[in-house]
Amino acid sequence: MPAAAAIDIRGLVKCYDDFTAVDDISLRVEAGEFFGFLGPNGAGKTTTINAIVGLARKTGGTISILGYDNQTQWREARRLVGVSPQEFNFDRYLSIRDVLIYAAGYFGLRGRHVDERADMLLERFGLTSKSKLEYTKLSGGQKRRLSLARALIHEPQVLILDEPTAGVDVELRLELWAWLQALNAEGLTVFLTTHYLEEAQELCKRIAIIRAGRIVAEKPTHELIADGSTLQEVFLELTKS
Amino acid sequence: MNAVALLTLTKREMVRSLKVINQVIWPPIITTLLYVFVFGLALGSRIPTVQGVTYAQFLIPGLIMLQVIDSSYGECSSSLFQGRFMNSIQEMLIAPMSAVEIVGGYVLGSLARSLLIAGLITALGVVLVHAVPQNWVLYFGVICLVSILFSALGLIFGLFADKFDHIAILTTFIITPLTFVGGVFTSASMLPPALRHFELFNPIFYTIDAFRRSYTGDSYLAPFWSIMAIVLLSVIALGIVLRMMAVGYKLRT
Repeated sequence: MPAAAAIDIRGLVKCYDDFTAVDDISLRVEAGEFFGFLGPNGAGKTTTINAIVGLARKTGGTISILGYDNQTQWREARRLVGVSPQEFNFDRYLSIRDVLIYAAGYFGLRGRHVDERADMLLERFGLTSKSKLEYTKLSGGQKRRLSLARALIHEPQVLILDEPTAGVDVELRLELWAWLQALNAEGLTVFLTTHYLEEAQELCKRIAIIRAGRIVAEKPTHELIADGSTLQEVFLELTKS
Repeated sequence: MNAVALLTLTKREMVRSLKVINQVIWPPIITTLLYVFVFGLALGSRIPTVQGVTYAQFLIPGLIMLQVIDSSYGECSSSLFQGRFMNSIQEMLIAPMSAVEIVGGYVLGSLARSLLIAGLITALGVVLVHAVPQNWVLYFGVICLVSILFSALGLIFGLFADKFDHIAILTTFIITPLTFVGGVFTSASMLPPALRHFELFNPIFYTIDAFRRSYTGDSYLAPFWSIMAIVLLSVIALGIVLRMMAVGYKLRT
């Protein structure tokens, strides 16, 4: 029996009234994979992510996380996923450290182990000196790191990143790349959406490209650019109207 | 059942209340002080006893109910709406938390705030006008039930609202008028007989009438019927908000 995929999407459809945002897509992301999910604005990337994590109700299709259906076995499925959303959505009443502690609490975790993991993540992402501040006191790059730390606090097996390097400077972007590669090397499955094609090319072993709610390509990165084209050229060709 | 998540949200709501203490804890205490001085002590000295106690003592349980209702509704409606507005509620929506756990966390946090405010006003009542609850079971029971009812209503309006202004609709046009005519300042027995029957259509009348009995030992209605009315309304309100939360009304697209 084959091992369960980290993310297994089958026939996903998501409609908003008359508009079909995601139109019958199927994807299989293997455990431990670094997977890129690319597409132009409005193509359906964030809607797909929202459907995976339960923020969007599916119109049709199924999604399972490491074998757990995200609708019928939602508790098990959600415990396995960490999300770093595109927009910052921290709790403004909590300190940086408490953002992590409370996030763990929502996942049913508490105690010394959580405290130690929060301190470890703050250390790893260079936020220890800011731990008592409110998140509004952080720079954009620090918020991005906090978002990543929060996504990891409950030790998920699948990490979903919605444009994690949007608006950060080159230095931090490279730093984030190194962290993500290290996390992936530790066995974490990473599902990444980004508008930076060089980022996808550098990090992702396999890439799917979505246009107008439909998958137009899904291949290992090296196969996508096998004919000597750059990923940007391939992307533009596949996503042109 | 994810009890840790429920308690985490409860704690978060308590932290939030303390972070905005100048908005949510001190104003009801100061308002109550003003009511006690102006209505209870200044004007009330000209009123003979009501239900066997001085007017100032009669006023205290009504004022506690007024603030419990206001704080329960305000806490849940504004916290939930703010969470929607800032998207911070997504933290709970992506976590393994059921509708029961999310609603329970908000309601318990709101109840904690209500008990704190009620406790402070009770202490003021003891010190200023020697108003002491006689039946503590009824005292805590009614506060808890009323807080649950208005917390649930707050959550319903926190979900319905598309802007902060919408949250004020229920308070401005329904809760405040019904509270003021529901017996905070008067006993039903002080009203003309024709108006007394109208009080029975005011749900807030039941809350104040039952709660005042915990102080004076006297009430217009037998407390059993008032408590049954509050329980029934609470069950309906909780049922509605649990359903809204379970389907992700205005939370999940």
